[in-house]
Amino acid sequence: MPETQNVYEIPIGPIHPALKEPIRFTFQVEGERIRGVDVRAGFAHRGIEFMAMKRNLIQTLYLSERICGICSISHPIAITLAVERAAGIEVPPRAQYLRVIFSELERIHSHLLWAGVAAHELGFDTLLHLTWKVREQVLDILEELSGNRIDYAIPIYGGVRRDIVPAQVPKVEAMVRYYRGLLDELLDAFLRDPSVEARTRDVGILTAQEADSLCAVGPTARASGLSKDVRQDRPYLVYGELGVRAITPRDWGLEPRGDVYDKAVVRLLEIGQSLDLIEKCLYEMPDGEITSFPKIPALLAYLKKAEGEGLGWHEAPRGEVIHYIRLEAGVEEPVVWKVKAPTYSNLMSWVPMFRDQEVADIPIIAASIDPCMCCMDRVHVVRDGSPGTVLKEELLRLSRAKTERVTRHLSPVPRHGGAA
Amino acid sequence: MTADQVTRALTAAVPGLQPELRPRKVGVRSPVEVPELWVEVPREGLVPAVAALKAEGPLHISVISGRDVGEKIELLYHFAVGYGTPGGEVTVTLRVTVSKADPVLPSICGLLPGAETTEREKIEFLGVSFTGIPSTAHVFLPDDFPGHPWRKDDPETAKLVNRLVEWEGKDA
Repeated sequence: MPETQNVYEIPIGPIHPALKEPIRFTFQVEGERIRGVDVRAGFAHRGIEFMAMKRNLIQTLYLSERICGICSISHPIAITLAVERAAGIEVPPRAQYLRVIFSELERIHSHLLWAGVAAHELGFDTLLHLTWKVREQVLDILEELSGNRIDYAIPIYGGVRRDIVPAQVPKVEAMVRYYRGLLDELLDAFLRDPSVEARTRDVGILTAQEADSLCAVGPTARASGLSKDVRQDRPYLVYGELGVRAITPRDWGLEPRGDVYDKAVVRLLEIGQSLDLIEKCLYEMPDGEITSFPKIPALLAYLKKAEGEGLGWHEAPRGEVIHYIRLEAGVEEPVVWKVKAPTYSNLMSWVPMFRDQEVADIPIIAASIDPCMCCMDRVHVVRDGSPGTVLKEELLRLSRAKTERVTRHLSPVPRHGGAA
Repeated sequence: MTADQVTRALTAAVPGLQPELRPRKVGVRSPVEVPELWVEVPREGLVPAVAALKAEGPLHISVISGRDVGEKIELLYHFAVGYGTPGGEVTVTLRVTVSKADPVLPSICGLLPGAETTEREKIEFLGVSFTGIPSTAHVFLPDDFPGHPWRKDDPETAKLVNRLVEWEGKDA
């Protein structure tokens, strides 16, 4: 960074309206141009790996699901693969297909979520509302299949916890048809829109060489033209047989530039790829068992005797997730559990992406590697056996009423200097 | 990229290495074997081994994991060599052990700048140090965080655990 009098430091974050998750950037700016950036993470570090050292493996599985609300299939898949490898557990074929279906449903909802966030960061809120409205279809299917909109509790060591029953198949097929019909409209709205192009073309560039040396993962790496996708490179589950290929902007007929526009291209095209994979799995999935350990106590007893180490990996919507686990016989807790989430690998990519960009582009560049949020906008209640839906407005009213109720019983706060 | 190629490159770069192949059977209809290599590497052999991996093909570091094993600290460098073709990547884990009396390793950031975040994380969590690392600033823990949470013999960690146990007891 040049040492001139005109360079000023602007701290942004850890809490900032442009960023949905806590992270602190310290920008060195010269006029409107960013000359350098320092990134500081850790504001949401909850010590989850540390917590697992006091929990048995089933409790750790549920803990892994809570690492990220959006990737609540990706982390459980990585940990189950790691533990199955360490303990020598087989997964029935049908369960492998089911895990792929759930992973791809998660990718669709995550990419649509990102598209909405990106539109919002650009000040294009109509597009945000459109993408988040259509995202409801896939969340409804996830709820239909797993019982939850997020935190699905589907993978378990040795298989999955729920099957897709024949009555549900037409619903999934209808969802696939719905998005197929819609994809062109979405591609139009994002990729053929002049204002989106003006704000994202040549903004926040990560060159192929930088993406490679910084070990970027997921759409961040693929937008720079790297053919890097764990589903393709290191097959697991049934991805090898499904013929997954890494999607780059070349699939859209463009030479990759690694800018924000290219990142949108990759994510939107991957929605189409996920639809193909879901359809293929539904068609090819064999009948049979969905888990090799139907009884949890038997599973726990088996795991307690297991000894070994293993790696489990998965291509999450944001890129490579990898878990390392080490088990020792007679110990219920994992001896070592290391979790690597995609943003961990993409953290360094921000530095070249921000260089020489304008201050006004900070939100979209920060968002381009994909921030994640939980959707907590409604809750289902079952009272006296009859289900009902409580909407956000009602939750808000309840919350305000509780604040009123609580404060009514509080004694007045003494003013500084006491009652005198 | 095949496991044989990687094995040859590693043994040529650091004589005496004995890479262990742990193939993983993957797939349902036409299962294939996905290669996974695990190698114990002496501290002096780390940089030559990573250089050899880098020369073989595009190199990716996933993460460095580690643990406290009494008198020593064990670090596992999880790499993948040769992305870009279907099933063409080989996972390589290098296991490096250092003594607690001298927990110093060479940094591999010169060869692979993408390793910086994970090396810095190990400084915070295991109290090791890396010679030649571009920055040693904390990434995840507060700057004034006492101790190293993954060290089993760290008095500050023990205090932290006790506080957590107390707090969890109250919560229940």
